[in-house]
Amino acid sequence: MKSLLESIADKTNEWAGIPLPVPGLDLHVEPNYPSFEFVTKLQEAYKEDCDYDPRVEVIRQFRIYFRHHWSKVAVYRDVDGKVRKTFLPAASQIDMLVDTLGAVSAWDYEQEQRALSLLMDMLTDHAFKCYTMTGSFLEHSKRSGVTYLFRRLRPTIALRANDEGVRALGTLCMHPIAYYRGTWAGAMCPTDDVIAHLVLMRGDEHEFWKRSNQHSISEVESGL
Amino acid sequence: METGLSILNVSAGDIKLVFDKNTAERLRAARIVKDMLRRGYALLVETGRDERNVPTYTRVVDFDEEKCEYIIADFDSAAAAEADAKEPAHEPVANEPRVGKPKRSTKRVPADSTRGVAVARVAGG
Repeated sequence: MKSLLESIADKTNEWAGIPLPVPGLDLHVEPNYPSFEFVTKLQEAYKEDCDYDPRVEVIRQFRIYFRHHWSKVAVYRDVDGKVRKTFLPAASQIDMLVDTLGAVSAWDYEQEQRALSLLMDMLTDHAFKCYTMTGSFLEHSKRSGVTYLFRRLRPTIALRANDEGVRALGTLCMHPIAYYRGTWAGAMCPTDDVIAHLVLMRGDEHEFWKRSNQHSISEVESGL
Repeated sequence: METGLSILNVSAGDIKLVFDKNTAERLRAARIVKDMLRRGYALLVETGRDERNVPTYTRVVDFDEEKCEYIIADFDSAAAAEADAKEPAHEPVANEPRVGKPKRSTKRVPADSTRGVAVARVAGG
C-alpha cells in the first residue's frame, strides 16, 4: 500500500506524499491537503469503531473548569459547515502510549535514517547525542528567551528560566500533513516531525506557536 | 552537505529538490517551489550559522521563478531585540511627528547555493 501511495503521489505532484491510513487508528489529514478526499475514502476501508468523522475540522481545543473538574472542549466545523462545540472524552496516557506504537507501520527505517541524517547537520554534536540517546534535546531562542525541549514522539515543551527556577510555559504539538488521533504519532516519521518543529522555531518562532496546538502540562496530551 | 531544498515527506522520506544547471530540471524545481508556497507550505532557508556553528533559518516570503531566488525578509529579530535593549528610553515629546511603520525590506538568496527545508501545512496535534 505504501509503495502504491508513493507512486500516486509522484504522478499527482503531491510533493509531501500521501499519508498512509493504519488499521485501528484514526488518521486526521489537514482538510485543505489535496489528497484529503482520497485518503478519507481509503480510510473508510480501515474504519473500526471510530467516533470521529474525518470530514469534521477541529478549529480549536481548550480546557474549562466545569462542574468541579477540568474538561476538554473542542470547537469544530461540522460536515454541514456549521461551527459547534462539544465535550471531548478524557484521554488516557496508557491508551496513547499503546496506540502510538500502532503508528509504526506507517513509517520505515529508510525514512527515519534520512531524517536523522538531516537532523544531524542541524544540531551540535552534543545536542544530536542527546537526541540519539534520550530522544530529546534542548535549544534556547535568543529572540524570545524561551528554551525548547524538542522530543521524539511527544510535544515540544516551552520553558522559561528566571531567578526562581525553570517554569514550563506549555507544550506545543504540531504535525504537518496528518496525524493519528489519540496518539502522539504524525504521518511523517518521528524525526521529521522534530525537524519541522526545529526549523519553524528557528526560522519563524511566531508561526511555530501559531501553528501548534498548545497543551497545558497537566493534560495527558502533553506527554508529561 | 549538498545544497537543495528538503521537502519533509510522509511516504518516501525527505525529498531533495536541487536547482540543477540543467534548464528543464531547474524549471521544474522552480515550479515546485512556487506551487508549495501557493499551497501554504512554510519554506525555511539557511541564511547563516550561529556561534555554535548550527544553521540559522529564515522563512521564505516569495520565490522568483525566473532568477531562481528565494525572497526573504531582511530582518533579524534577535539582533533587533538586542539593539532595543541597549537603546536609552525615549521620552515622548509633544507635537513630535509620528513615525509610521518601517517598510519591511527583503533580501534575495539564490536557490542553487542555499539549503532549506519545506514544511507542509499543519493538520493539528
